[in-house]
Amino acid sequence: MKRTVLSAFFVLFTSSFCLAQSFKTEEGKATFYSKVPLHSFEGNSENLTGLINLDDGTIDFYIDLETLDTGNGKRDKDMKLTLETKKYPFAEFFGKLVSDFDPESFSIQDVTVRGTFKIHGEEQEIEVNGTMQMREDGLFITAGWILRLLDYNIEPPKILFIKVDQEQEIKIEALLKPVDG
Amino acid sequence: MRTITIIILISFFSISTLSAQMERKRADPDGPVEETFLTKNIAGLGTVQLLGKGDLNSMIQHNFGDIRGGIDTFFGIDEGANVRIAFGYGLTDNLNIGIGRTSREDNIDFSLDYRVLHQTKLDKIPVSVVFKGDLGIRTQKESFSLTFQERLNYLGSVMIARKFSDNFSFQVSPMVAHFNTVVKREANSELYNTLLGLGFAGRIKINERKSISFEYLPVIGDRISDTKNHAALVYELETGGHVFQMFLMSGRWFTEQHLLAKTETNFFEPNFRFGFNVNRIFGLL
Repeated sequence: MKRTVLSAFFVLFTSSFCLAQSFKTEEGKATFYSKVPLHSFEGNSENLTGLINLDDGTIDFYIDLETLDTGNGKRDKDMKLTLETKKYPFAEFFGKLVSDFDPESFSIQDVTVRGTFKIHGEEQEIEVNGTMQMREDGLFITAGWILRLLDYNIEPPKILFIKVDQEQEIKIEALLKPVDG
Repeated sequence: MRTITIIILISFFSISTLSAQMERKRADPDGPVEETFLTKNIAGLGTVQLLGKGDLNSMIQHNFGDIRGGIDTFFGIDEGANVRIAFGYGLTDNLNIGIGRTSREDNIDFSLDYRVLHQTKLDKIPVSVVFKGDLGIRTQKESFSLTFQERLNYLGSVMIARKFSDNFSFQVSPMVAHFNTVVKREANSELYNTLLGLGFAGRIKINERKSISFEYLPVIGDRISDTKNHAALVYELETGGHVFQMFLMSGRWFTEQHLLAKTETNFFEPNFRFGFNVNRIFGLL
């Protein structure tokens, strides 16, 4: 019986340690920049959801594409039609941290993650560089990469309200809070 | 021993859950329903579809003589067009203002649309409701013998619409129109300054860029002599920034107060005219 109790404590301790190494947000910020001559714009969402588990280096992020706002109703509609958000509502990344990160340090550290990015029903293996910083209030991350529309079979209709660059710059920024046990 | 095994299994399950992908959840599953109609107007009837904040819609509306002229008038085209040029602007997502000029009577009208309810996807709010007001003034030389006040016309409307499915939307819009001056065309004409109407409008979506819409606007109660209920059947094509609407309509006007007071052809007789609207939407923000 004594051994059972001890084991239970051991397991619970292990579990809570793992939980403390997980960080989550549902309010991260994602921005894309579209640059074409005479017509540049950006779209934002503050509904980026992310979970980082430092224990095994798992990185999991997704965003509801219908929350992207370019500041113009007509442009938003065209964007949603182009991304077919009714059929493919999410853009998502699932991968692993492949560089070292010291959670004991409060300094900003460059990190690299590798994994699968999925949008418009198409998947690509990508590597993304960014920064991670352990803070007293959580884990702050930034990252950016270039998304090529054709890689994901995203083809804007020929006659469109907006001119669309083939290469879209994506930036994300989020403060992930420790996941409570 | 069995207890330990169970605890270890539960613990492993908790840990592995953390490493697994999160369940993907929609950010706002009960968000507002979008695109109940394609534009703010069908042919002449207003809809609950408002311009988003910062959107400017420039609209050119035309229609021609009635088709009964046959080949002699090239089915009405030779009779000249009634043209309304209008601009609408979204001050907010729920408040739009507009100005228009109709070539008939050189009527200039100012409109205001305010959305009080927006249908949501999970039906917490089952309908969209928009209040619309329109104030028009005749500015052609022939009307200068009338005072400013006498040349005014008004419309008040409550548009109630529901998008029943991705492919079908329907709207009912009770309205009241008032003309400060009405003119007898025949000695025994019955005239009314105030008219009531009940607009019906619907949209059947063919695909993301095309739809068939209709509008029907019967006068309720007293009506001016020899007027008929307005109706229109519309083919709509969206090409991104433009929305083209090609239609057969009985009324000659594009403002609802005039459709109630001045429609003289009966769509179901059948007698109607060809017309088309071109909407171009610009994002100003």
